[in-house]
Amino acid sequence: MEKVMTEEQSANAWEPKIVAIVCNWCTYAGADLAGISRIQYPPNVRIIRVPCTGRINPFYILRALQEGADGVLVSGCHPGECHYITGNLTARRKFAALKSFLGYIGLEGDRTLFTWVSASEGDRFAQVIRGVTKAVRALGPARKLVKGI
Amino acid sequence: MENVEKKLREEAKGLLAEKKVDVVVGYEKGTLPLTATPCFITTPEEADRLVWNPFCVLNLAKFVHDLLSQHHEAQKRVKPEARRKKVVGVVARGCTSRSLVIHLQEKQYGRDELVILGVPCGGYLDEKKLAALAGGEEIREGSLDDGKIAVKTVKGEHQAPLKELLADNCLVCRFNQPVIADIQTGEIAPVAEAEKEYDPVTAFENLPPEARWAYFEKEMAKCIRCAACRNVCPSCYCRICFAEQSQPRWVDIGADPSDTQLFQLMRMYHMVGRCVDCGSCTAVCPMGVDLRKFLKKLDKDAFSMFGHRAGVSMDEPALLGAYKETDGEEFIFEPKHGG
Ligand code: SF4
Ligand code: SF4
Ligand code: SF4
Ligand code: FES
Repeated sequence: MEKVMTEEQSANAWEPKIVAIVCNWCTYAGADLAGISRIQYPPNVRIIRVPCTGRINPFYILRALQEGADGVLVSGCHPGECHYITGNLTARRKFAALKSFLGYIGLEGDRTLFTWVSASEGDRFAQVIRGVTKAVRALGPARKLVKGI
Repeated sequence: MENVEKKLREEAKGLLAEKKVDVVVGYEKGTLPLTATPCFITTPEEADRLVWNPFCVLNLAKFVHDLLSQHHEAQKRVKPEARRKKVVGVVARGCTSRSLVIHLQEKQYGRDELVILGVPCGGYLDEKKLAALAGGEEIREGSLDDGKIAVKTVKGEHQAPLKELLADNCLVCRFNQPVIADIQTGEIAPVAEAEKEYDPVTAFENLPPEARWAYFEKEMAKCIRCAACRNVCPSCYCRICFAEQSQPRWVDIGADPSDTQLFQLMRMYHMVGRCVDCGSCTAVCPMGVDLRKFLKKLDKDAFSMFGHRAGVSMDEPALLGAYKETDGEEFIFEPKHGG
């Protein structure tokens, strides 16, 4: 059945768009496991796969926000389990500083989220996505640092 | 101050005469009253041009990096047997010396390419505060006597204690003695109130988020993206800055406010553990953007989160180039079960 949405309806139907930048070796594999185990999670994430969280230029996060992402999630291997040994440990410092700085200028804390999910944690991956989606939904559409606003 | 200046000239003269350095980067008298300007001294005779006073504003480490990196670049085109070393002497107060340490930590040049002429620093005059004193009028004459600044404009004369006109960063400077020097020219007791260093940051943190965002938006809206702040910053030495890269184009060159916000956020983020609070960027900004309000937060975080102070120790690695297993994890997101 065809449905035509009025403007108001489509505004009410806002769904958060979340960019998830995840490392190839742990979180991406965790997402795969969630998939093959048929664990349900909200379809709001767009996954970008990178070799390692250490590969993530913080600019990716800012740029995603500028281009209209309502939230950005970064996830990689747990500390001590990085495929490249220390990529996530240096990344942890970078992200800690970035998150604090963004909070300082008044950006909502839940717009940028960081976590660890290993390859065997399909369940945790789904939980993280549920949690992140819920947190970003609670914030509403992004209005800060967004282009064209 | 006079003694420091005298000693400085003597030392510079000696270094140049003995060919221990190729150039001394220092300050000379500016063309306007109450100003000094960076200069490059290459012969012993010129050394008498050097001055050291509260009008010396810019962080000279920037020029040291420029000279040495250009020299390294030029040497690549010279036959190996014809290559020569260049040694740069530099007049360095506390913040300048910290920038030099950062360059050394980041392996920009060798310690042997540098002769540091350390000078004690009592802070420099904030041009904007001076302009306010002069009521925005052109300053025709100016003098500094006995800790008092006096200016003459067409409309009249004004006076104020130097201390009231010092730059904000100088008032709370923690390292007003060089942290590293080959030749030290005099000592003075610290005058700054370093314990108040982070007060403005803490006050800002206590504002509601919307007020902080409004302030950020307002300040960034002033920025015309002239990049003077970056060009003068000793920690901004990248050959091609992200701001000019086109593949990928990190930040768009548009009139959209978010483009400027991103440019600034990223420029500042590149200062994590690398900003020495020299105030050069704020001093050269033609639009009076309150950069320090944001940069100082990075400094505060670097210290409170990682115990790091930018450029104070040669034994410490660059903050973001290292890690500790014990680094804080409070910011890591933990979903609630069943969430
Ligand atoms: S960001 Fe500004 S205050 Fe910090 S080191 Fe660079 S020029 Fe100095
Ligand atoms: S803003 Fe960043 S990329 Fe540009 S010169 Fe400074 S440190 Fe380098
Ligand atoms: S100097 Fe001022 S106006 Fe120029 S780019 Fe920096 S903040 Fe913007
Ligand atoms: S490989 Fe997963 S974080 Fe480094």
